Amino acid sequence: MSATQAVAPGTASRAPNDGPLMERARYVAAVAAEHARRHDRDADFPVEALAAMRETGLLGLTVPGDHGGLGGTLTDLLDVCIELGRADMSVAMILGMHCQQVAAVTGQAAPRLRDELLPRIAVGELYLASVTTEAGKGGHLLTATSAASSDHSGIGIDRFAPIVTGGAHADGFLITVQAPNAASPSEVSLIYADRGQLTIEESGAWNPMGMRASHSVALRLTGHVPAHQVVGEHGAFSVIAGEVFGPLAHLAWSAAWLGTATGALSRVVRMLRSPAGRRRFDLGSELLLGRLSAARQKLDNVHALLRHTEQAVRATADLSQPRMQLLLNALKITASEQCHAAVDDLVTAVGLRDGYLKDSETGLEAALRDLRSAPMNYSNDRLHQADGRLTLLDPEVRLA
Amino acid sequence: MEARFTELLTPFLKYLGDQELTEDSDLRRLGLDSMQSIELLFAIEDTFGISLPDEDLNDATFATAGTLWKSITAAAGAQGLADAA
Repeated sequence: MSATQAVAPGTASRAPNDGPLMERARYVAAVAAEHARRHDRDADFPVEALAAMRETGLLGLTVPGDHGGLGGTLTDLLDVCIELGRADMSVAMILGMHCQQVAAVTGQAAPRLRDELLPRIAVGELYLASVTTEAGKGGHLLTATSAASSDHSGIGIDRFAPIVTGGAHADGFLITVQAPNAASPSEVSLIYADRGQLTIEESGAWNPMGMRASHSVALRLTGHVPAHQVVGEHGAFSVIAGEVFGPLAHLAWSAAWLGTATGALSRVVRMLRSPAGRRRFDLGSELLLGRLSAARQKLDNVHALLRHTEQAVRATADLSQPRMQLLLNALKITASEQCHAAVDDLVTAVGLRDGYLKDSETGLEAALRDLRSAPMNYSNDRLHQADGRLTLLDPEVRLA
Repeated sequence: MEARFTELLTPFLKYLGDQELTEDSDLRRLGLDSMQSIELLFAIEDTFGISLPDEDLNDATFATAGTLWKSITAAAGAQGLADAA
């Protein structure tokens, strides 16, 4: 591929690695958009977008400034996920999940590990993948069946994970394992391992309905890492899950989904307003206007809930309170349902040729397929079960 | 910690085994999950005739046997049921 092909039309010829954050995000989004259809077709990883995230410093978006990162806030992260989601939902989710890993390192790792990892993340050298799935336990975060061994020389890992987003391209992994000498499966440790410290076997093929560029493969990871590469206390992963992984996953995923639906609506409106669109569509049609309105309303509802949840998370010290957990789960459930429903409205609004064909310029087909995964990405059924229990814990019904 | 509290708590801790239940016993580590936390809460409220305040219904309260017991005794005191503690 020549250097000129890597640059999307209408974007700067060089990746902006200084200047406003959103300028960098828009550059990455443009690169992602240029290659999105090919990666969707081939179900392979968006390597150009990852390269652009390394180059622009976006991989270090949430790394604190004193470690060389951009020091981005939660608001910045959500803004960037929305922007990337407009172009390619897989790319937005990849960055969102990477930043969730970064937050665990920043907030929970001891100084030595933090000092080793954060500067490398900041310069774009280290893309982190999350290894929390295990065969037989689904997405249940708080238990682990795969044990880690521990001796004087460090921690031994032998771990099979059925789904690791971007696993084939990650430079490092945060892996949940049963803590050494654990008395129960709920004693879970989070271990950092560099690609070079592991033997990695990839198995199976990735051929999903949507989210094809997330390239979420099965991996078997074996290796041995120094003892200081545990993130937080051994056995205390539940703290990281409750304070970091859960909240950030739901916020960043919801932002990515909102971005995808927002991008879809934007492309539909541009198509309708173009001279060709105005010839083919009656913009005074009450049916069409009603459907556009319904889609837009759903996006505004999700956006309002996203921003409210963001503010509540920023203002709350203890996220384990039932009302905060309920709010975060409500955001995830609402965003996953309403963003998909909004794009479905748009397919109906513009019809077969512009909404349903794989090569429709509006890209609604891919957006709809991608968003279909949202309710299953940490299953809404499971969240409703948790919410039912949390609701019982809050008889006064205090809203966050 | 009162015997009726440790007796009430023990069946919820499937990994306790032969270990002694102390104030430092880590409830999550010993097998208390979120569903059981709710059943435990109902059992506590029935046994001691109290209602734990909403602000205590968080991970910190259910962290160890000691933190949970402290919350129970505080609620019992505040609700004028000192004999329960």
